Amino acid sequence: MLQNLLRYRCSHVLLAALSLITTGVASAAVCPGADAAALSWLDKMSRSVRQVSYNGVVTLQRGDDMQVMQISHSVGEGTISERLTELTGQGAQVERADHPLDCIHPGHRLLRLGADLQAGRCGIAQYYRFSVTDGERVAGRMAVRIRIEPRDMYRFGYVMQLDGETALLLKAETIGRGEKILEKFQFANLSYSGQILDGTEVNLVHEAQHPLPPAAVPTASDGNKWGVGWVPRGFISTDIPVGGGGRRTYTDGLAVFSVFLEELGQEIRPGEGVVHRGSTLSYTRGMRFTGQSVLVTVIGEVPVNTARMVADSVDWTP
Amino acid sequence: MSERKHESLSALLDDEANELELERVLSHIADDDDLRQTWVRYNAVCATVSGHQLAHMELDISTQVRQAIAAQKTTAAQRMPSAVHNATSLRQRFLRPLASLAIAASVAATVVIGGQQLARIGGVDPYGNGQAVAASASPVGLVNNLGATTVQASYGTQTMPVLQPATRTAYRELARQRMHKYMQEHAEQAALNSPQGLIPFARVPRIRE
Repeated sequence: MLQNLLRYRCSHVLLAALSLITTGVASAAVCPGADAAALSWLDKMSRSVRQVSYNGVVTLQRGDDMQVMQISHSVGEGTISERLTELTGQGAQVERADHPLDCIHPGHRLLRLGADLQAGRCGIAQYYRFSVTDGERVAGRMAVRIRIEPRDMYRFGYVMQLDGETALLLKAETIGRGEKILEKFQFANLSYSGQILDGTEVNLVHEAQHPLPPAAVPTASDGNKWGVGWVPRGFISTDIPVGGGGRRTYTDGLAVFSVFLEELGQEIRPGEGVVHRGSTLSYTRGMRFTGQSVLVTVIGEVPVNTARMVADSVDWTP
Repeated sequence: MSERKHESLSALLDDEANELELERVLSHIADDDDLRQTWVRYNAVCATVSGHQLAHMELDISTQVRQAIAAQKTTAAQRMPSAVHNATSLRQRFLRPLASLAIAASVAATVVIGGQQLARIGGVDPYGNGQAVAASASPVGLVNNLGATTVQASYGTQTMPVLQPATRTAYRELARQRMHKYMQEHAEQAALNSPQGLIPFARVPRIRE
């Protein structure tokens, strides 16, 4: 029952994603600079989480801050169950149970170029330059290194290390301006077994959410008061905006950012503010549309220029 | 306005523009009303945030600025034939008049609003956990914090005057609060649409059930 429901939800997401991708990717005769080997690894990486079960300890470094967490990932009969348990800091646990194997969200779909590349549809290769070399040893496994450089100023770069056998993402660095490492995540140890580990002291458990089924989407009348007029090339919606909901989220397969809009009851002095935590930024902008003050916030793993331009393109109608 | 020009303008404002972008903006700003207006708008935002207090946004002095640039360009070109020198002086020549334009274009906000209005925007906290946000929500409260006294944002509904220099701090504080408020909702999406699986949740300052 639950599986059927999830499947139902997913097919909707897929449909939306598919239509966006087919319209969003310009077909070109050739894909200049596209490294087929690197793109093939990227494709494998995206599929690996549906093929192997594993658990291990992961560290996440952002500036001077380091967090440690336990990850369990179990591929079962047609579904995936995963769990993240924080071993430092808050000690929270995030779970996602019975996520259907055939539910592939837009971000992952963008990483799977496959036959598209031969057909001249360059997809993500238009926005990043990929190259592949031998990697280092991560969590006791020999890795393959994929270097991912942005082709424009709207996204960050990445250095990813994938397991040479399973293509599982073992380590990822997010690279900002001036080759600065903004965030680093890596497995400290890794075991390919399906058991979900228990016994860690947990403070609270959060069930990870999933896009809502279509029936929950309110009518358009209260849903289209605002829109984002511009996103960098290659970014597509991750889900269908829920009616009057104040959020829109976009991904290019590697980076994700969300735009939030709040209508204010009072006039606001126009202005902007930004804070950074590792690769994540929060950019808040006070704006006025025909007498209505709104607060637009962009949160995500993108440079501040991107956030500013996205916020600039937001339109609101009474 | 083309995306490219927009991009250059944004980079210029961030002081991240290279010489090429500078040239591009310079060549377009002269005959592109849209680009000029965007530049004025961007500067108004920046000037307001950084506490500049000048009015006359409606005053378009760009024609005079363009003439000034053109005049300087001719003179400087005569003086410095070397391309390198030319590029350097171009930047200086360009930035100086633009700085004046920025200042002239800066607009003083017309409405002084209460700190708690900034704080109470959005009203309902979707996670039912308003206290953590509200405790440090008021920009006025933050200013007081800087003065070593912590003040809860409980001023009722009456409008409180905000000191001008507080605007920049207030917006920064707003951005910080929004990160706390929205990070989890963003992580829900990032976890399904980026390669790291559930890891985006580890970026959430405080996970809520």
